[in-house]
Amino acid sequence: MPAVRGEGMRGLAVFISDIRNCKSKEAEVKRINKELANIRSKFKGDKTLDGYQKKKYVCKLLFIFLLGHDIDFGHMEAVNLLSSNRYTEKQIGYLFISVLVNENSDMMRLVTENLKTDLSSRNPININLALHCIANIGSKAMAEALGGEIPKLLVSSETIDQVKQSSSLCLLRLYRTSPEAIPKGDWQNRVIHLLNDQHMGVVTAASSLIHDLALTSTDDYKLAVGLSVSRLSRIVTSSYTDLQDYTYYFVPAPWLAVKLLRLLQLFPPPDDPAVRGRLNECLETILNKAQEPPKSKKVQHSNSKNAVLFEAINLIIHHDSEPNLLVRACNQLGQFLQHRETNLRYLALESMCHLASSEFSREAVKKHLETVVNALKTERDVSVRQRAVDLLYAMCDKSNADEIVGEMLDYLETADYSIREEMVLKVAILSEKFAVDYTWYVDTILNLIRIAGDYVSEEVWYRVIQIVINREDVQGYAAKTVFEALQAPACHENMVKVGGYILGEFGNLIAGDPRSNPLVQFNLLHSKFHLCSASTRGLLLSTYIKFINLFPEIKPTIQEVLKNDNQLRNADAELQQRAVEYLKLSVISSADILATVLEEMPPFPERESSLLAKLKKKTGEAAGTNDEKEAGKEKKEKKAQPLPAAIEINNVGESSTDEVAAAPPSLSMDLLGLDTTPASQPTVTSLFETPAVPAVNNVGLFTNPPPAANGGLLDVFDPSPVASDTGALTPGAEENFKKFICKNNGVLFENDLLQIGVKGEYRTNLGRLGLFYGNKTSFQFSNFSSTVSCPAELQPLLKITAEPVGSVVEAGAQVQQMVQLECVQEFEEAPILHVKFSTSANQEEAERSGSGWGSGGTGTMQFINLKLPVMISNFFSGAAMTSDEFFTRWKQLSLPQQEAQNIFQATTSMDTEADKSKLVGFGLTLLTDVDPNPDNFVGAGIIHTQEAKIGCLLRLEPSKNAKMYRLTLRTSKQLVSKRLCELLSSQF
Amino acid sequence: MIKAILIFNNHGKPRLAKFFTHYNEDEQQQIIRETFHLVSKRDDNVCNFLEGGTLIGGADYRLVYRHYATLYFVFCVDSSESELGILDLIQVFVETLDKCFENVCELDLIFHIDKVHYILGELVMGGMVLETNMTEILTRIEEQNKIEKQEAGISAAPARAAAAVKNINLPNISTSNIHLPNLPSFK
Repeated sequence: MPAVRGEGMRGLAVFISDIRNCKSKEAEVKRINKELANIRSKFKGDKTLDGYQKKKYVCKLLFIFLLGHDIDFGHMEAVNLLSSNRYTEKQIGYLFISVLVNENSDMMRLVTENLKTDLSSRNPININLALHCIANIGSKAMAEALGGEIPKLLVSSETIDQVKQSSSLCLLRLYRTSPEAIPKGDWQNRVIHLLNDQHMGVVTAASSLIHDLALTSTDDYKLAVGLSVSRLSRIVTSSYTDLQDYTYYFVPAPWLAVKLLRLLQLFPPPDDPAVRGRLNECLETILNKAQEPPKSKKVQHSNSKNAVLFEAINLIIHHDSEPNLLVRACNQLGQFLQHRETNLRYLALESMCHLASSEFSREAVKKHLETVVNALKTERDVSVRQRAVDLLYAMCDKSNADEIVGEMLDYLETADYSIREEMVLKVAILSEKFAVDYTWYVDTILNLIRIAGDYVSEEVWYRVIQIVINREDVQGYAAKTVFEALQAPACHENMVKVGGYILGEFGNLIAGDPRSNPLVQFNLLHSKFHLCSASTRGLLLSTYIKFINLFPEIKPTIQEVLKNDNQLRNADAELQQRAVEYLKLSVISSADILATVLEEMPPFPERESSLLAKLKKKTGEAAGTNDEKEAGKEKKEKKAQPLPAAIEINNVGESSTDEVAAAPPSLSMDLLGLDTTPASQPTVTSLFETPAVPAVNNVGLFTNPPPAANGGLLDVFDPSPVASDTGALTPGAEENFKKFICKNNGVLFENDLLQIGVKGEYRTNLGRLGLFYGNKTSFQFSNFSSTVSCPAELQPLLKITAEPVGSVVEAGAQVQQMVQLECVQEFEEAPILHVKFSTSANQEEAERSGSGWGSGGTGTMQFINLKLPVMISNFFSGAAMTSDEFFTRWKQLSLPQQEAQNIFQATTSMDTEADKSKLVGFGLTLLTDVDPNPDNFVGAGIIHTQEAKIGCLLRLEPSKNAKMYRLTLRTSKQLVSKRLCELLSSQF
Repeated sequence: MIKAILIFNNHGKPRLAKFFTHYNEDEQQQIIRETFHLVSKRDDNVCNFLEGGTLIGGADYRLVYRHYATLYFVFCVDSSESELGILDLIQVFVETLDKCFENVCELDLIFHIDKVHYILGELVMGGMVLETNMTEILTRIEEQNKIEKQEAGISAAPARAAAAVKNINLPNISTSNIHLPNLPSFK
């Protein structure tokens, strides 16, 4: 064929040559500015330009734009070119528009007019130009203006193949931008039949379109399964000569085969045994072909063959139902793992990650452990090594955790910087998840810190401390190991943190050995002190005060250190304050008080490792917005002010230190993520905020609610039980509260001593709660009391009366308490249930049971503060309505403040039935046949308050592919929409 | 879906930038720079896929690229595309360019940027693969050329005449050809 070049534009060529001959950036900019001025004057000039000239200038502008210069004129000229009746002028006009014009430009309206004209043209060439332009810009406005036209073109019998092809993709683009702008209709069914079209190009384009259409409503496109399978079968079994031009390097129609296999991955395995059989045959044929000798040595041949093969394997993994195929797939991938083509090794590692999660092939994947480890060590390409790390993580289980974690640790020493942090997280997660022996876990993490300390994030060392605290069996070992690790001449600061914390808590367990006696421990830690950052020093100061409690014999030594001007007059207000407060604490308080304040940490409640969340965030981070990072930044800025040191003594949180420190002292349990502070909670006096050295007498370390607080330190440590009720929520209260969002009955609280059950009944705006307190022990509870309080804001909104209960609960007995409720107005907060009692149980058991600050003595007082599961949604009654009624009301509630929407990641398996029952449990009536998409849920209900009835409409849209939900609530009250949305979002 | 198609030379000079998602000029240039930075530091025989840079969407997007003599061809795609398929598509694109320009080289892309856009338009549309059959693509390009010639015959005759008279030599810049068959052969 003749060359495309030749008929060039000389002016353009000269200009480009000039630019290329420019010796410097400045010269280039100068030349460009000169040209821009020239073009601008030409465009503005009186002389009318002919099409050729316009074309030439537009080409120059395109070139200038590509070099990175902003083009702010010429748009109008380009739009004028669109209405030219010369093809080449139209073409360059459209090119300019799709490369240069912003979709929000004012010019777009004019462009759209031109597009309309061209779409209705008789000339297919013009139609195609328009379709290309629409597809390349694909703006919302275009979808709205032209969305109705394209489907007609697509299914019209008069449309030629080329236009069909373009209109499929054009429609696809508009559908992606704005699905609601595309009218539904008969075309949807007819599109499916394009899979049978004679023209392979049309089928390829149509399969892309159908893929996206079926994404949201698989059921409507079920027919596509059979058609795709038969099409695929014809391709796969054809010889390479059958499809002529669509055969690419001896592989018949590889792109179409890939598209069809992708499309099939949207659907479950076909129900029809004939179709299923045929599909399996196809898959087998593809797997067989992989074993045949290549028909060409060209890389293109193997590429396209393998593109199909990998897609077939993906489909096999997706179906996850044919053990035979799965194992064959796994073997095939195993072969690729050792292939000389890097691309194939990369893809094989990636696909194997998916295989590792199937129970049929899990074992088969594990056989390749050695190869994968080898890949990690020897691959030259970091992106391949990254995949190897992913696969090791995916294939790890109890049987090979030891080896995998070992190999990953080994590799960490030389790993690329770009993947170290992620690897550290993965090692930390695996070693925790599959630890049989927790001494191994402790060793692993300490090794991790030793090898890659810089990449160990806060979460990792928080987690190791949580685990050590929760597992008594490993505490002594941890203390010993960390002590040994600290003896290394240069150890990482993170090691000092872990060491400081663990020795502060459990140093006494190894103090018997003269080699690690108290003074040795202290000196060892203090030798690192000066090399550490301020936050670590703060932590060490806390360790020192704990040492004073654990080892009274070294108190004078530590006091000397605290007294040192380096501490007492440190420029860092935080450190100064800690030193002052700790010093005073050690001087004025008795051993008993010290022992109470610095008591061993109570176990952390078991919850999902924060590391997983971190890993998810890390891997998801890149994809997402910058909002999260911004938010993080803000948070960091906030923490600048100095905070009371004492608060942190006993705390290592999952939350970052700033959050920890921000919590008022009485809420020390709150580190664990319980973020609700009841309104009755007195706020902390601002004594701490002054960085100046506080006067001795009002070191208000633990300011108490009046009247108990006289400002004096000692009051706090008053052994009377009342004083130690902090009013803080008991750990787990928030989680338990959430359990009641979709049901009225259940267990609100349980520990070794007590179980609290709840049963609720509601009618209109009235409600009745039965609370059942079960004594699980073999001894009596005395001084039992249980009261309900409302935070101040809630009081006028909800009337609540709890009948009194007897003060004694016998061993093994259950008492009942009735609570009457009346909803006056919509509300957000929950009332708080305060339960207290004393037991004669031994100290240790009481300690375990949760309310950590309980004071000593035989009659241990227990305090339990819970959120009573009363929420606005309890006053729901369902409302049935027809589709029309629903939509009318939905539209009526269209003000932005009436709607609350949340899009969130699914935390459940997205089971339709389970979702349904949750929504019903929430109190709504589910409406069927309202939403055009059968996967979506639509519901309606009325909330009754004394003052009003509030209608509520709900729509929940699951996207199983993305594992996301979109929840939309519309009610007439902003607060109600918001609250309902919050409540319900936590349930899926 | 294909999010962007970029061609730049060994020095990072952009030769073609086609974005199927809207970015403003600055972002486009930054993406080109970032992509160049990611791709150019890689050895020639490592794998042809890597995770996208942060500007283009990070790990959810893959860069699939090929390096021909002086030029990098980079496709940025999401997870719905087959990497090997895209790699072949790049090859089809280059082979098509080669046929159209007869031994294509970097200069052809520079001086005929509009043509390159049109050829690409026959392969990829709105971020999706439109046509993969090279014969079909070439036929369509051929049709375009015919129309162009017809139109040029009517209107551009005077301009061409003037050009012929002034036929000056363009500065001769030596640029090696793209060397199509330069791929490592398989086995």
